[in-house]
Amino acid sequence: MTNSKLAWRNLSRNKRRTLITAASVFFAVFFALVMRSIQLGSYDYMYKNVIESYSGYLQLQQTDWWYEKTINNSFEYDSEIRETLTNDENVLELIPRLESFSLASSGANTKGVMIMGIDPVKESLLSDISKKVAKYQLTPEAIEKITIDENFSEKIIKNAELFEGNYFNNKERLLTDLGINIDDADKYMPLLEPYCSIEGSQIELGDPGVWIGTGLADYLLLNPGDTLVLMGQGYHGTTAAGKFPVRGLLELPVSEISGRIVYMPYDIAQQFYNTGNQLTSVVLHLKNNDDRAIEDTKERLDDSVPPKTRITDWKEMNEVVIQQMEADNVSGMFMIGILYIVIAFGIIGTVLMMTAERKREFGVLVAIGMQKKKLASIISYEMIFIGLLGVIAGALVSIPIILYGVEHPLIFKGEIAHMMEEYDFEPKLVFESINLYFIWQLLVVGIMVLISLIHPVRKILNIKVVNALRA
Amino acid sequence: MILLTAWKNVWRNKSRSLVVITSITIGIFAGIFAVGLMNGTMEQRVDAALNQEISHIQINQKEFTDNYNIKLLIDNKNQLKQMINNVDGVEATTLRTLITGIANTATKSTGVQIIGVNPENEKQVFNLHSKTIAGTGSYFEKETRYNQAYIGEELAKELNIIRYRIDNKMIDRLRKQEVPEETISKLEPFIGERFPSQKAFSRTIEKALSEKETANYGHIILDAAWSFRERSKLTLTFVDKNNIQTGAMFRISGIFDVSNSMFEKRNVFIRNEVLKNLTGIEPDKTHQAIIKIADRDQSKEITGKLEAMFPDYQTRHWKELSPDLAMMTGMIEKFNIVFLIIILAALSFGIINTMLMVVLERTKELGMLTAIGMNKRRVFSMIMAESVFLSLVGGVVGIIVSKIMLLFTANTGINFASAAQGLEEMGFSSHIYPTISNTFFITVTILVIITGMLSSIYPAIKALRLDPSDALRTE
Repeated sequence: MTNSKLAWRNLSRNKRRTLITAASVFFAVFFALVMRSIQLGSYDYMYKNVIESYSGYLQLQQTDWWYEKTINNSFEYDSEIRETLTNDENVLELIPRLESFSLASSGANTKGVMIMGIDPVKESLLSDISKKVAKYQLTPEAIEKITIDENFSEKIIKNAELFEGNYFNNKERLLTDLGINIDDADKYMPLLEPYCSIEGSQIELGDPGVWIGTGLADYLLLNPGDTLVLMGQGYHGTTAAGKFPVRGLLELPVSEISGRIVYMPYDIAQQFYNTGNQLTSVVLHLKNNDDRAIEDTKERLDDSVPPKTRITDWKEMNEVVIQQMEADNVSGMFMIGILYIVIAFGIIGTVLMMTAERKREFGVLVAIGMQKKKLASIISYEMIFIGLLGVIAGALVSIPIILYGVEHPLIFKGEIAHMMEEYDFEPKLVFESINLYFIWQLLVVGIMVLISLIHPVRKILNIKVVNALRA
Repeated sequence: MILLTAWKNVWRNKSRSLVVITSITIGIFAGIFAVGLMNGTMEQRVDAALNQEISHIQINQKEFTDNYNIKLLIDNKNQLKQMINNVDGVEATTLRTLITGIANTATKSTGVQIIGVNPENEKQVFNLHSKTIAGTGSYFEKETRYNQAYIGEELAKELNIIRYRIDNKMIDRLRKQEVPEETISKLEPFIGERFPSQKAFSRTIEKALSEKETANYGHIILDAAWSFRERSKLTLTFVDKNNIQTGAMFRISGIFDVSNSMFEKRNVFIRNEVLKNLTGIEPDKTHQAIIKIADRDQSKEITGKLEAMFPDYQTRHWKELSPDLAMMTGMIEKFNIVFLIIILAALSFGIINTMLMVVLERTKELGMLTAIGMNKRRVFSMIMAESVFLSLVGGVVGIIVSKIMLLFTANTGINFASAAQGLEEMGFSSHIYPTISNTFFITVTILVIITGMLSSIYPAIKALRLDPSDALRTE
């Protein structure tokens, strides 16, 4: 009879204990897998969100611009640069930007703002900013009309009051915040639209229209169609001043940015700041986003870009975000670590009991001529089976949950959603699909099993048959 | 009697009981400590917000905070202050004028909130004055004939008031800190250079030194190169009461360092009378009254009282001023409990196994007890009591160990310097002092008892099912 078969039979001798021990492993593995999936998924999502939609993986910048973001640290965007960059095998498209600061005012109100000069068409390769243009707002007037309208329940009116003044860039968000099931959109949207809709149109190269953040719009009391006055310092100390019609309001997840951002076509920004053909940065849209490919591209281009410019990578540009994720990651692993330590003790306890209980049995087996090594290996098989049972059960139960989560990310509603946005997080729980972290759990459980084996194996190898038989 | 038997039973198989107790001790200790860290982080954030940023209650004209309209003033400020201070529970009041504007230096400019304060009154409400970085001056202590401004470290960096430079003085400082000559010699070629920002400086250092050197001495070098230009100037431009663009030059009075980089970046403090002079706000008017109360749990009631006294103004307590903060404190409590329950659930498997073993091992004994007339309820409660004792001993030891650890770390704190920038960007300190409330210890104890009881149910039922005649016959 093989060792593993014997081990299996030994396990079924005390099914209850086997199952409970395996269940404890299952419990830890299940929690660890789901937790890791959510954590890694949200990092991935954040990476995508921040890096792929805003900074990109690589940017061409004037040498000092990243350290000192003034309009004077800009560079000439001529055909030579364009050619150098687009000739690289990994660069698909160039996304030009001109960023600077200015004073924005309307009526008696003034505020310092960030100006983002973009190419609206190319920018959509990174993130479709035009999708962020607010379509609905719960103005006090709108809420008043909703309150009188008999089609809306008490609950909806209450929710509407809770979110007074908020903007929404799609109907799903409006409906969820109002507590209306999305399936009822056909019933409610025609009723809501006349009350809540606000204007919003595109900006285009050559057209001096701007988009402003909803926070800024609230501050300056501006609506689409109104005029925004900008005044600031242009290139090399020239005065920059102009009037721009507001084309739309941007509802951005981060309130801090929404209170101080103005988007305009980059050629209009160049005119405004008197920079001529200058830009502050060019985002390189890449074919291949692997770490390796990014590094190679950076190295290749670093040598060929003109003097006074340099390639900045996403790690440098997103230092803070990476640190925040790192801190969160460590705290998550810490918690899983605690869970595993607790489980490991449970297993060790079980093994201890089992060894003590079977001391006599071991003695008999050795006395009738079983090799100590063989006995030790049987016990090892037993423990490995228990571990495997737990891991497999944990994986089997968590896989459907994780796969479901990958397809249907959990979206938070109401106040929690708004609080998360306050901290720059999108109110969304994204799951990471099955991945390397599964292997990690297997490894951890493996190590736990190995540690728990130390005691029984030593006991068996040092067994004194006479004493053991008397136990 | 049953309890005594159960207690004695726990110690019949010492090593087995000790394994379970140890695992519970470790689980409880680790759980409490993790919760302590989270609580500490939260508590420090709330503390910073209340002591440096918003305090407990703010009163201003309705709609003032929507866009800081300079004309939304409160009349008769002295009478207002008098009335507020007469309310029970109010500790101190400070009056502020607030405008938005732009801070400029020769090379940089950025949008800021300019806050006019009375330094003496501010000290009674906020502790910002104690956050001055040594060597950068003071919180309006020195009387000079210039206008003075008190700004945050991040703003000073952004405006190039603080910069990084490598010079002979810096090298001397490094020698004093016992940085090896080999490392210093690598920095010497840069003597005389200035760097516009910390990032630019770090990049140069990282290129010049090996990775190990940067890791070991990076912080020391950064500190040594940090240089503040004394008598630095700052121009503030803003719109006055009559919508006319105006401004004035200020000397830096001092630079403060708090754990919220947004707050450091956004605020410039100047003397109230200077701001009023420049903007034409009448001396007896003010924008905002900020109130510190003795007990922060009373903020709601006191706000209610003040609201009744000043129906024309907007009165808000800190939970309304910073709803996300209030919500997070509420959420973290729930999260802590959930986290503990998960740990206890994991522990319960070990307890169940042990108790099951206890029952099977004592089959004969239990059979005997039932045979001589011990009723089922007593058998059940004996096993349950044993299980509760087992978990309670572990729980209590765990609590004691964590108490000791908390005492140790309460003074020194735990420093997560590597994530400092990321944490401070969100307003959290990276140096965390774990804290646990006594009520939480009670919650833990109750949860441990419940875990012990729940884990014993299955083994106890097993014990009840034993047939005395069969049980007596087992070996």
